[in-house]
Amino acid sequence: MSDPSAASPPALRRAVGTVTATATSAGLAFAAINFLGIVSVATYAAGASAWLAILVGLGIALVVAAVFSELNGLFPTAAGVRLYVGRAFGNRFALTATFTYMTTVVLVIAADAFLIGAAIQHVLHERSSLAYLWILALLAVATAANLRGITLAGRVQSVVTYTVLASTVLLSVIALTRPGLRMETPFALFGDGVMSGFQAIAFALFLFAAFEWVTTTAEEARQPSVITRALFVAPVLIWLAATGFALGLAHLVPKGLADSSAYPQLLLGQAALGRLGEVWMLAVTVLTAVNTFNGGFLVASRFLYAAAREGNLPRDFARLNLRAVPWLAVVTLAVASAVVAGVVFASGQWLLLVAVGAALEAAMFAIGSAALLRLRRHDARPRPFRMSAAPVLAGGGVVLFTGLALASGFSDPNDPSTFSPVPALVVATLAVLSYCYVRFVLPRMHRAAAARAVAARAAGTRTRRRPPRAATTAEPTSDEPAS
Amino acid sequence: MATWDEIAEALDDYTVTCNGNERLRKMQRDWTRQLHFVCSDTGDTFSMDVRSGEIVATPPGHVGVPDIVVTADSETFCDMFWGDLNPMPKYLRGEIQVRGSQEDVMRLDAISYVIWPDA
Repeated sequence: MSDPSAASPPALRRAVGTVTATATSAGLAFAAINFLGIVSVATYAAGASAWLAILVGLGIALVVAAVFSELNGLFPTAAGVRLYVGRAFGNRFALTATFTYMTTVVLVIAADAFLIGAAIQHVLHERSSLAYLWILALLAVATAANLRGITLAGRVQSVVTYTVLASTVLLSVIALTRPGLRMETPFALFGDGVMSGFQAIAFALFLFAAFEWVTTTAEEARQPSVITRALFVAPVLIWLAATGFALGLAHLVPKGLADSSAYPQLLLGQAALGRLGEVWMLAVTVLTAVNTFNGGFLVASRFLYAAAREGNLPRDFARLNLRAVPWLAVVTLAVASAVVAGVVFASGQWLLLVAVGAALEAAMFAIGSAALLRLRRHDARPRPFRMSAAPVLAGGGVVLFTGLALASGFSDPNDPSTFSPVPALVVATLAVLSYCYVRFVLPRMHRAAAARAVAARAAGTRTRRRPPRAATTAEPTSDEPAS
Repeated sequence: MATWDEIAEALDDYTVTCNGNERLRKMQRDWTRQLHFVCSDTGDTFSMDVRSGEIVATPPGHVGVPDIVVTADSETFCDMFWGDLNPMPKYLRGEIQVRGSQEDVMRLDAISYVIWPDA
């Protein structure tokens, strides 16, 4: 036995370093839906100013990186979001926020399944009705892999992520070398109106969505600074790929064609390199799914498991198969994703997913910024990373992110000249359902669990196993005679 | 605060219970890990050597290079190893701190869940 304070904490045998953490962060954010996100940015940004919106998005993402770096330093755990929102605003709000936030995972998995299915169907020149079969097949493969406990090693994940990002940049450079490059009004971000430019920025911020999920790997990082570095480097990599793709798309693919397509990356590949480029981008699209399905299923299913173990979801969600995988959580996620993907497939409203995801993510950034401000007042512990000018940046962030959430929540994904409350309604419905569950269902579940425990103790089927501690005699003090 | 003797007694019971649980052994058959534990209140440290799901040793002090490091107060460890405490709520409140991969953290909790599902 030894005094732990006397020595530095022991190093883990398999700790995550900066390169892997950065890949995890960028890989979680750069999904197939990002290509549609870039199209949405281009739709709302006037002329060829999408790059400018994405640059502004990068600036905002770096503020988010600072917010989550400080929060992660305070609570370096996979349960981070739940923990710091809970400490700042109470358990009920934290549960409502995290349940709503987790629906983003379902949306992203569903979106990726849909987009990849549509891309495969397009490249193979199949009937469009077959796309949903591809979607189901992809989800089935992802579910089976998760149920078997197959997870990507950090090194494989890094290779996949850097391949996707490098391929996107390379194709974009090739596209930009094609003759006839012209940039019409590259600085006219607000040329179609202030609101339109603001919405372009909201969608640009969505391109970085989920990069902060790397904080869930904080427990396996070599040091807290590894996560901080990843949070600051990953947005820059995403920015490079997104900017290149936006410029290439503007150069080679007519705006109307990209707006109406579920696979703009294939169109750019085709325009830049013909059939080779199309197949290349299909391979890149499929690779994005490796990260989405691996990271998304893992994060969300383990969240459901932990919530069930804590008594905040039915206990069945904690049931484990013989590979220690919470199988009901995984299957539920897969079914929910298949249903959402089916609705998107039937309605053709894939851009709605982008708007809903953008609104949800901006709202979460607002909550994170508010939590940081509150914890600055109530938690005086030293932080490994302390955000500079937090009252201004995080305070301004609360206002800005709320504004961006509203801007994307009231955007019409199919017509930038009009407004639609549908994305906001979807987000509000998810939040209200989460709140009602936390406010009305959970207390009943907790009361029932407490009653079961009392009954089990009374019946003698659940008794304390730890032996009672032997009574100790207190040492008499010097002015207290022993009797 | 729990003494080292109390923790050792709890660890012995935990080892017997885990190693005697067929379902757990099957579930953890591919799990070979070195665990380090730190009592935040007493400073006591101990290790757990798990090979193919079997706990083969629980020596005092830190032995080998850890895959997982768990920090909590001594009472929490005692209650957890006796099966009187579900560790997940304490983990989610930050009262049990774990360093290690997400998968290993879940496996660790899964052990408690499988052998004491009603805790």
